[in-house]
Amino acid sequence: MHEYSLASAIVEQVRKIAQEHNASKVKTIIVSADPYEMVIPDLLKEAYGIITDEHELFKDSKLELIILPAEIICIDCDHKGEPSMEGDEEFAYNFRCAKCGSRDTHLNIRHLTIETVDLEIPE
Amino acid sequence: MTQEKKITVKKQAYLVNDEIADKIRRLMKEKNKLFFNIMGSIGAGKTLLLERITEKLSAHYKIFVINGDVATTIDADRIAAQGATTVQINTGGGCHLNANLIQKELDKINIDDYDIFFAENVGNLICPSAWDVGAQMNIVVVSITEGEYVIKKHPIIFKGAEIAVINKCDLDGLGFDSDILVEDASKIKSDMEVICTSAKTSLGLEALIEALGIQLP
Ligand SMILES: Nc1nc2c(ncn2[C@@H]2O[C@H](COP(=O)(O)OP(=O)(O)O)[C@@H](O)[C@H]2O)c(=O)[nH]1
Ligand SMILES: [Mg+2]
Ligand SMILES: [Zn+2]
Repeated sequence: MHEYSLASAIVEQVRKIAQEHNASKVKTIIVSADPYEMVIPDLLKEAYGIITDEHELFKDSKLELIILPAEIICIDCDHKGEPSMEGDEEFAYNFRCAKCGSRDTHLNIRHLTIETVDLEIPE
Repeated sequence: MTQEKKITVKKQAYLVNDEIADKIRRLMKEKNKLFFNIMGSIGAGKTLLLERITEKLSAHYKIFVINGDVATTIDADRIAAQGATTVQINTGGGCHLNANLIQKELDKINIDDYDIFFAENVGNLICPSAWDVGAQMNIVVVSITEGEYVIKKHPIIFKGAEIAVINKCDLDGLGFDSDILVEDASKIKSDMEVICTSAKTSLGLEALIEALGIQLP
């Protein structure tokens, strides 16, 4: 349920960016996050809709979420990359090393990031 | 006439939060204070543990506790009764504390009046993990009455924690089993400090205080 806080943080930052560029409209915001971020895409969009409702700057704008592949850094063998393809039969999230099978890994979490913003700017 | 322009941003949504969190961490370190973030599920025993910890420490240290809850001041009042100064932050439905909420409370006090700070985060095993509150150590509390799958279902919050507390161990063997949770918490990372406690009987309390790095005279 932290989607609402995340959507607020996105809107706050994008509003600043729009201001800096003297934009009249925000068209599309593209954000990214990995599975460890535990963001539910529909909830994020819903929260974004509620927050931007009745904001002229955000009218008819779109928020798109790209889910990046999970990435771990293995503490045992230094392998860096996606976790084991076989998944993890025990834990709900897979953070097992693909090389040596260790669960002693550091999650290289790609936190929710604003990638690009499409703005409409009066000439 | 208007033109369309694509702006490359590449900035984290947590940017503002993380800046405030780092500021809090630096300040606490500079002033030689300890600040702990206690996370965990609803009813895991976060408040009762903080009551026990306060009871044990308040003769030697000045303690400030920030309680995050969706509503009510029950938890803050309970801990205050044990000798800490407490403040309740009602997040009004929000499922986690954040650095800004902590900063606002710190602004209202003189940090030098206290030695040890605790934040009791909102009961939730998902959301608080991503929101840095500026603590030096993150502690996750789960209890054996939550069933054997509680850590398996929520491993991510444990990855970001230094201490896993398995609470309500007074009920061990009475239809509940601490072994599985201890094993799971240990599997998440090798340097995890796993401590079995009972906030009811104070079992494991000294081990927890030691793991927090707090000296008792
Ligand atoms: N038997 C037992 N009960 C506990 C223990 N810790 C907490 N409780 C009880 O569990 C309930 C929830 O505790 P509380 O501290 O309010 O949990 P919180 O939501 O994590 O703050 C209360 O009724 C406590 O008395 C414990 O170690 N053993
Ligand atoms: Mg509580
Ligand atoms: Zn490995």
